[in-house]
Order: sequence, then C-alpha cells, then structure tokens
Amino acid sequence: MSTVIRVENLTYAYPTGRDFVLKNISFEVQRGEVLAVIGPNGAGKSTLLKSLNGLVPHFYGGRYGGRVIVAGHEVLKTPISTLSTKVGFVFQDPEDQISGLALTVWEEVAFGLMMLGYPREIIEERVREAIDYVGLKGLENRSPFELSGGEMQRLAIATVLAVKPEVIVMDEPTAQLDPLGKFEVLSVVKRLAEEGTTIVITEHEIEDVVYFADKMLLLDNGRAVAYGDAREVVAMVNELKSRGVDPPSVTELAHLLYRKLGVNASYPVTLEEAVEVFSRLLGG
Amino acid sequence: MSAGVSLLKRTAIEANTFVQRLDGRVKFLFFIWATLLAYIFYDPVLNLIIIGFTLALAAHAKVLKPIALTLAIIIVPWILFAVPILSLPLGFPWNKTVIGYIEIFGRKYPVYLEGLGWGFTWPLRIAVTISTALLFFLTTNQAKLAATLVKMRLPFKAIYVVIAALQFIPLLAREAEVIMQAQRARGLRTDVDILQRIKNYLAVVIPLTLTSLNKVQIRAIALESRGFSAPVRKTLVYEVSFTRLDHAFLAGIAVATAFLAWIYVTYGYSPISHLPWVWAG
Amino acid sequence: MPEVLVRVEDLWFRYSESSPWALGGVSLSVARGELIAVIGQNGGGKTTLAKCIAGLLKPTKGRVLVEDLDTRTTPTHEIVKRVGYVFQNPSHQIFESRVLEEVAYGPRNLGLTPEEVRSRVEWALSEVGLKGYEDYNPYDLDYGKMKLLTVASVLAMKPKVLILDEPTTGQDHRGRHLLAELALKLNEEGTTVIIITHDMRFVAETARRAILMAGGEIVLDGPTREVLYAVEVLKKNAIKPPQVVQLSVELKRRGVNISALTVREALEEMLDVLEKSARACSGG
Repeated sequence: MSTVIRVENLTYAYPTGRDFVLKNISFEVQRGEVLAVIGPNGAGKSTLLKSLNGLVPHFYGGRYGGRVIVAGHEVLKTPISTLSTKVGFVFQDPEDQISGLALTVWEEVAFGLMMLGYPREIIEERVREAIDYVGLKGLENRSPFELSGGEMQRLAIATVLAVKPEVIVMDEPTAQLDPLGKFEVLSVVKRLAEEGTTIVITEHEIEDVVYFADKMLLLDNGRAVAYGDAREVVAMVNELKSRGVDPPSVTELAHLLYRKLGVNASYPVTLEEAVEVFSRLLGG
Repeated sequence: MSAGVSLLKRTAIEANTFVQRLDGRVKFLFFIWATLLAYIFYDPVLNLIIIGFTLALAAHAKVLKPIALTLAIIIVPWILFAVPILSLPLGFPWNKTVIGYIEIFGRKYPVYLEGLGWGFTWPLRIAVTISTALLFFLTTNQAKLAATLVKMRLPFKAIYVVIAALQFIPLLAREAEVIMQAQRARGLRTDVDILQRIKNYLAVVIPLTLTSLNKVQIRAIALESRGFSAPVRKTLVYEVSFTRLDHAFLAGIAVATAFLAWIYVTYGYSPISHLPWVWAG
Repeated sequence: MPEVLVRVEDLWFRYSESSPWALGGVSLSVARGELIAVIGQNGGGKTTLAKCIAGLLKPTKGRVLVEDLDTRTTPTHEIVKRVGYVFQNPSHQIFESRVLEEVAYGPRNLGLTPEEVRSRVEWALSEVGLKGYEDYNPYDLDYGKMKLLTVASVLAMKPKVLILDEPTTGQDHRGRHLLAELALKLNEEGTTVIIITHDMRFVAETARRAILMAGGEIVLDGPTREVLYAVEVLKKNAIKPPQVVQLSVELKRRGVNISALTVREALEEMLDVLEKSARACSGG
C-alpha cells in the first residue's frame, strides 16, 4: 500500500470552540513523500497535524467529521498509544518534550521504547542508531536539560526515530531555535527526506522547506486553499501573500520582475535556481 | 542526579558510596522503620542515636549539608522554643516531677521533667522522619527510584507525576526569576509597603502558575504521543534487585529490631531517658 | 548630532563567581532615534547585554550609562522609566484579566495619577493597533495580539528607548510584518528601538544598524547593509544572510551588479540594470 496517509473531508471543532478549526480537508501522502503545510497562525495547521496521531480527537475531544487513515489505521477508531508506534510527533518547543524522567540523553531516547514495552536488547540497538543519526554521538551521558536548543530538538527527533514510525510529523520544529539550531534540525530533516522517510511538516521557513518538500498544502481559516506540487504552490505568490504567507524572496522577486517585464515563465523557488535564471535574464 | 538533588537545586555532589548503591526499597524501609521506632519509643536520646546514625550515613554519602540544613531550619528553633515553654511552669498540664530549679531575673523557677521530655522528644521524632526520608531521596536517582516504585506495584502514571515534578522544580525557579525580571521591567519595586508586596507577589505567581499549567499540558500531550498510556508492561531499563549489600543492611535492621524489642519488653518505652508516661507521649 | 542616550563602557558580566563570562568587554553607544538590530546565536550575549542596558542586570565590571545615570548606582525602577524591555514570552508578563488593567500596570508603578494612567493606556493601545480591546481577557487574544499587548504595556511607560526581545519568534509572516511596521512607526515618532532577533529578513527590512554578538563580544557593529553583506563573518558565526543578499552576492560573482537588502530594492536594481543594458544595446 503506497498511500500512508489519507485524509477525507476532515472537519473538526475543539470542545471549547464555537467555530470549526478544520473544514472539509482532503489530501493524501504517499510513502516517501514530504508534505509541507503552510499558512498563517490560526489556520489550523497544528490541529491538522494532531489529527494524524490521534491527539485529535482522542486527547482533546470535540466535534469530529470525516476520516483520517494513517498506516492502515483509522484514527478515529485507534487509540493514541497504538498510533504512537506508527506516527512520530515532534513539537515546537524542544524543552517541552523532555520527559523529566531521564537523567541522560541515552535514557531519554530509550524512554519512548520503554513506554511501549520493547525488550531490552532492541532498546539498546535502536537508541544507539537514533542518537548517531541525529548527530548527538558523544552526548549520550549529558543531561537533556544541558543541551542547546538545536541539540534538544535533535534529541526529540531521535526519540521519534528510535520507534521507527511509518510517518514523522513535525509541528514548526525550528520556530523556537536560533539560526544554528535551525540549520542543525533542518539538516536532519533534509537527510530524512532524502532517505525516503514520509514526513508531514509545518514550517514558516518556506525558503528552506522548498528544498525537500514534494507537496505543499496551503491552509487558511481551516480550509485547504491550495494543494499540489510544492514548486507550484509556492509559486502562487498572490495567493500566498493575500493569506499572510511570504513566498521565498527570490520567488516573490521573480513574480514582481516578470510582471513588470511581461515575461511568462515559471518562477525559481530556490536560491540556486534564481541565480541561474536571473544571471541569464540580466546578462551576466 | 538524584530526584532529591534536583529538588534541592543541586546542593549535594553526586557521589557513589554504598549508601547510593543501596536499593531504594531498602532505604525506604529504613525510613519507615526508623520513624516507627521513634514513635513506639518515647525517648529523645534514642531518637538522637537514630538521627546520629542517619547523619553519619549522610556524611559518608556526601549529602550531609542539605539534611543538616533542613534540620537546623525546622527542628532546632522548634526545640529552642518548645523546651523552655513546656518545662517551665507555664501551663503544660502533665508537669509533676521537678528535676531542678532555674534562676531568671532573680526569681527561682522549677523545671519539670514531663515538659522537658516532651519538648525534646517530639521535635526529635519529626527529625528522625525528615532525616531518613531525605536520605532516601537524596541518594536515589530518579530512574532507579521509578524502577523501585514500579516494582512496588505503584501505578506508573502516579510515579511519573511525582518524579517529574521534582525534576522540574529548578525549571520553575528559573521561570519565576524571568517573570520577576519582566515585571521589574514594568516598574515593579521591591522597596514598598506590604500592600504593594502582595500585588508584587501576584504579578509573579499568576504568570508562573499559568505558564506552568500550560507547560504541564504540553508535556502531557508530548508524552501521550510517545505512548505513555500504552497498556503494556513497561520495560524497566534498570534492573532493580537486591545485592549482598542490601541483604546485609536488611539483616542489620532485623537484628536491631530484635534487640530493641527485647529492650522494650525489659526496660519499657523510655529505656535511656526514663521519661514518665505522658498522654500522647 | 543626536544625543547619546545609552553608553556601554567596557562592560563585563557573569551571573556568579563560578560561571563563565557572559559579556567580555563590550562597548557601544546608542543615540536618540536609532533603530538597531542585535543578532547572533543563543548564548552569545544579546539578551544579557540588553538586560544590562535596561538596568535589570548590574555590570560585574565596567559600566552602563543611561542618560548619564549609572546603572550600578541607580535603582532599577528609575532606569526602566527610560529603557523599556519587552520580554519574549507574553505569558511571563500577563497577569491581569483585562487588557486595560494589564497595560495600566506599568504607568501605575510610575506613580502617575489615574487620569494620566488612563490617557497613557489609551495612547499605547492605539499605537499598537489594539484600540477597542480594552475589556478583553488577554488570554482570549491570539498570540500575535498578545505580543502587541506586551509592547503596549511597556510603551505606556513612555520610555525613550524600547528593547524588543525576539518579537518575531513563534510568529507567522503577518505577525512579523505588523511588528516591523510598528517598530518603524515608533521609531519615526521618536522612540529609539533595539530589536533582538534571529530573523535576517526582518533585520534587512527594518533596522538601520546591526550588531552581531558572539561569545560575549561584539563582532560586527555598523549599518545594516555592511553587516548583512559581511558574508564571510556571518558564515563563521553560522548565520545566513537574507536570501536577497545571498542572491546579490552570487549575481555579482557572475557579473550582474546588484547589492540589495530587500525584495523591493532588488526589483528596482534589476529593472535599472535591464534599462541600462537596453540603452547600451540601442545606443551601440
């Protein structure tokens, strides 16, 4: 089965909310695909991500309509603990994900596997793999609280990787990090994407996300406003700007320039593409 | 870092003596046992012996300072306060036996044994409880502590809540500091009257409570997402089993119990100080 | 020559005898009307420096003069009248149940009369665009408005210098634009503004002067254009210049002479280049 996530007409309202936070959303994610969800704050991006691992509706309650099927399980009918083996969730604030029970980085990564009752031998192997993958080798014995923001977030990713889920979901993983932390985390995400991990990620750093996103979903006010190939969605400059989302600078620049010149061509979405296109255009 | 160490803001240096290596259950048993002894016997000197033993263990385990500090803050003033009030003729109902006289401002006052005994014994009983409990906390690391409590069949979620809370107290302290700074940046002054001080207090406590509750909720969500509620047998990464050291310690407790039982039967409930019976003594 | 409001003279700071130096011999001056961005990785000293300027931290060695008042000997509440500090996390400040009360806290602490407090509150709320929200519960506001609320509550004290600590972290693009506009407006109206931020695009679009801090020292201090184009230095400090700057640098390497900071500037320069080459073609 190549479709890992199928969302059909998902509609949801929190128990304390009057309005529906998600309205009739439908999309699919294939195995190995990276879907980037973009949109202004309050559009429902976090809620959408939480509906992939069962937090919505099982943790929050509320009113739920439509269907979400992840790795063969229908989310509405599957408990969060089962889904947690299929969906790994990385949250925005690295410190908020530290369990508080682990003295060391090693123990923290092992904690999830411990929660799920994995046998000891498997735990040792998986923890070592995960820590190496995110580049925290050598820091196994440090206290999680002593790590930098970027290191802490990579630790969170490691705890998710150790469980070997089918999908990794990330909710603005770099929002609280400094530039170095952002670079460290995005490098890990890029590597995961290149190696064929299925990822759903929300990010405001669109200029970085275009490097590894296959598909993009633009959300505004609970609705899926645009969905398709990442390169195509990110080039919908007017659509994005009217909803308070900045496309990559080079894309916006191309949009304005081409309009002024009456050029009809596809916009560059990365720096490298822009350099090619503009140097040719401007006669370098 | 042990659970208690993070609680007391790392005042103890993490050491690896036999006290740390003792199984958590054994130390917990010691705490219960010592407390029971202190209450079965009505004897301040016996209490002092138990406290002395505990402090010696603490000193060896390098956690003496926080325990001694806690006792100094709670118990010592209590004794200094209680003993004079109770042993002098100020109304303690069971005062009968005069053991001496004391001169204050030129007048002679009798000193009663009953009040003296009570004034010493009760604070020292509490001191036994506190010192043995702290010894347990400060020398047991939290992962092992959790494993210990799980073996004792306590519900995992409850264990987690308690231990994680201890871990996060230093974080809370740091948050409080930042909040204090943020409010000072808006003109909060510390050189003010009592009414303003109450307002100042609210200006720190309210944001602190709200952010803490929020953080707790987010953490609960993150843990749920990691399978916290999975109805499976949790794997304990630490093996928790008794070693020879634990058996030796337990044997020591058994011998001491037998000895003290004999003492009780032979010499009564106040073998060393010979305090007379006082109701609730 | 605009007057110097803040003078930092060989400032050294550490939190305790046993901690490392957070600031090592920092010197700078801030003149009235400046709009400064302070950038750098976390732990580099940005926040520590800002807090020393606001009098929230006292120098360990060296001194900080705010309008000729020495922060070592002047009580903090006198300094904060002149230097307002808006903390990063709104939840660290908000404790009243009505927006009005929240904004009134600062002016009340200054000992102003109820009428003066009232007028300050009204003024501050309208400055940030929250007029009409007086009776709202702060926690009913979305994150972006809560941020504006914290700015208003510090603004109400009418400080000459306003420090914003990472105002854009955790915000979406619309929120960042709003803050940029607000910062520019306040600056135009006479407030000196210092912004600590990780957002290079924000720096390019807003600040006139940029200071890069690393390891407790000032590494770069100059006009924004100079600092953002010091590509090698930024790289060494793991900071990526805004995409427009990166584009300009690459294009220059290929013979296209662009050196823009923002999309607007790049557009103008590119049109300029095209016009010049068109004229050259037709002329030649």
